[in-house]
Amino acid sequence: MKAPLISLKDISFSYGDRKVLDSINLEIYEGERIGLIGSNGAGKTTLLYLIMGLLKPQKGAIEILGKGRTKEKDFIEVRQKIGFLFQDSDNQLFCPTVKEDIAFGPLNLGKTKKEAMEIVRETCKILGIEGFEDRVTYKLSGGEKRLVALATVIAMKPLCFILDEPSAGVDENNVEKIVKYLKNNAKTYLIASHDREFLKDTVEKIITLEKGKIKY
Amino acid sequence: MHISEGVLSAPVLITGAVLSLGGLTLGLKRIKNEDIPKVAILSSAFFIASLIHVPIGPTSAHLVLNGLLGMLLGWGAFPSIFVALILQGILFQFGGLTTLGVNTFSMAMPAVLSYYVFKGFLKGGKNIAFLGGFLGGVFSLLLAALFISLALIETERSFTAVAGTLLVMHIPISIIEGIITGFVVVYLKKVKPEALG
Amino acid sequence: MHLEEFSEGKSFLHRTDPRVKILIFALFSLTCALSSGIKIPAIFLAYSFILLAIANLRTKSVFSRVLIANFFIAFIWLFIPFSYQGNPYMNLGPIKISYEGLKYALSITLKANAIIIATMALISTSSVFSLAHAMLHLKMPKKIVTIFFLFYRYITVIHEEYTKIRKAVALRGFVPKTNIHTYKTYAYIIGGMLLKSYERAEEIYRAMLCRGFKGYFPLVEHFQLRKPDIIFGIISAAVIILIGVNS
Repeated sequence: MKAPLISLKDISFSYGDRKVLDSINLEIYEGERIGLIGSNGAGKTTLLYLIMGLLKPQKGAIEILGKGRTKEKDFIEVRQKIGFLFQDSDNQLFCPTVKEDIAFGPLNLGKTKKEAMEIVRETCKILGIEGFEDRVTYKLSGGEKRLVALATVIAMKPLCFILDEPSAGVDENNVEKIVKYLKNNAKTYLIASHDREFLKDTVEKIITLEKGKIKY
Repeated sequence: MHISEGVLSAPVLITGAVLSLGGLTLGLKRIKNEDIPKVAILSSAFFIASLIHVPIGPTSAHLVLNGLLGMLLGWGAFPSIFVALILQGILFQFGGLTTLGVNTFSMAMPAVLSYYVFKGFLKGGKNIAFLGGFLGGVFSLLLAALFISLALIETERSFTAVAGTLLVMHIPISIIEGIITGFVVVYLKKVKPEALG
Repeated sequence: MHLEEFSEGKSFLHRTDPRVKILIFALFSLTCALSSGIKIPAIFLAYSFILLAIANLRTKSVFSRVLIANFFIAFIWLFIPFSYQGNPYMNLGPIKISYEGLKYALSITLKANAIIIATMALISTSSVFSLAHAMLHLKMPKKIVTIFFLFYRYITVIHEEYTKIRKAVALRGFVPKTNIHTYKTYAYIIGGMLLKSYERAEEIYRAMLCRGFKGYFPLVEHFQLRKPDIIFGIISAAVIILIGVNS
């Protein structure tokens, strides 16, 4: 059997005295499409941040792409291979224009300007947001921001997606675009969401985070 | 608070530019990559806060809060005030390129000084922290007004009356800045003590 | 918030390369600010009017901006004609007005307004982001431009948060007055804004890390210097230097 893409072993995390995650185990294999649900403050975002190395666990081991990850340096590769969509698009879209925002990641990965612009074009096309390239990010609507934020993640060509509330505050029309992309173009992903309808369309398995534990 | 273009003499403008350049260089050196978003976003927040007009008696004044800015950012106050002044110049045509140095220094230097002088107070109890915030707020705004006044008087002796009036006008405003800074410090102490670190 | 009112237009100056405009503006500001007397500043003002005519901005908005920006100048007029040391005096009963003082105040007014108007015509006709790009091309340090980019990007976001809090406060019956309760309320509004800003900055840094941030924004767009830009640059520089030399 193939090794899991992401593996969390016995992970615990607290904010001060408040224990959010209590000895959690989770494995995600290539090709799996998983939904993560749980009430507000259950620790969904915390769990996702731990995978990306944005928070460090107080206990337990994280293994990603077959390698143990503990230090900040170990996660640089993780962030290049795993695409993360933040809950608030405004925080993800920090560049002036859509084009620059989508190109930001690829340019940091060492792509030339020409290659980056080609990626921008491709990504907009695949998501059905052609013509957005020169728009100013902060003037986009909530749903449009969500799509562009997703585009910035897709542009990094990740092996796996981790999406935090991708459908929150997005109208039907734009949700459809997100669903279509995930179904046809993304192979492996973990989606944290409250939107059961959305999960029904996109994932094959749902796990629940409750009182610091994962329920399968 | 700022001086318009076309008012100050060349030596004053050059002195301001050189001093600000020094402060900016030091400020930028102190800002690590991971602090870039913090400095930038706090600058945005202070820019919005400076649009707030608070009533004083029959009139109103807008907030500057350079003391608070200094206590939170230290030398980062220089880049922070610098970008805010550039934006004011572009959007509202307040201040301008030749006065950028004098205006930046007048507001940022008192901010940095209040970081060194009053930061210690913020670690104390609620009342001490309020006092530190209050004094920092009063001191920073008055010192900024004093710097501006000196720049005017250095340019032309007959500006003394203008400069004096400017300074006196800032006394009531600085007290309000002090009160508000004091309350903000107490608020941050309760909800985000790390910010006052 | 509608901030960049003047940047939306189709005039020649709206299309001119921002790098050229910044350089010309710097030359204009310096020579004008350092000129003296009445004649030279008046010629600079006339030149700024020509630029304003080319920029074709809404007269009403221009007028109200000029008025607000002259607040400090008006303050000077209240004092200088009376306090300026110079003869001869004009006597109006007990008040003495110095001609030299009047001339000095007028000179300042002309210079200040020439630069204010030139700012509108040359600088405000570009978008803030393209000006920031131009600053990078003109070799401003990357770190300060990165801070400027982010600073401007989040002003709108934070302003929205501010209006939301203000509305919520107003709905609970808050009316600003000169008292401690008012100042405390403002302090809590500002404290709340700062708190959110800290959290947001943390998240933004995380988002940057996820996309390989190295301390600056890589440049995507490059400006194209066209023939009209060069011609405009040369003519303007020549005119400004000519006015400057004559003083």
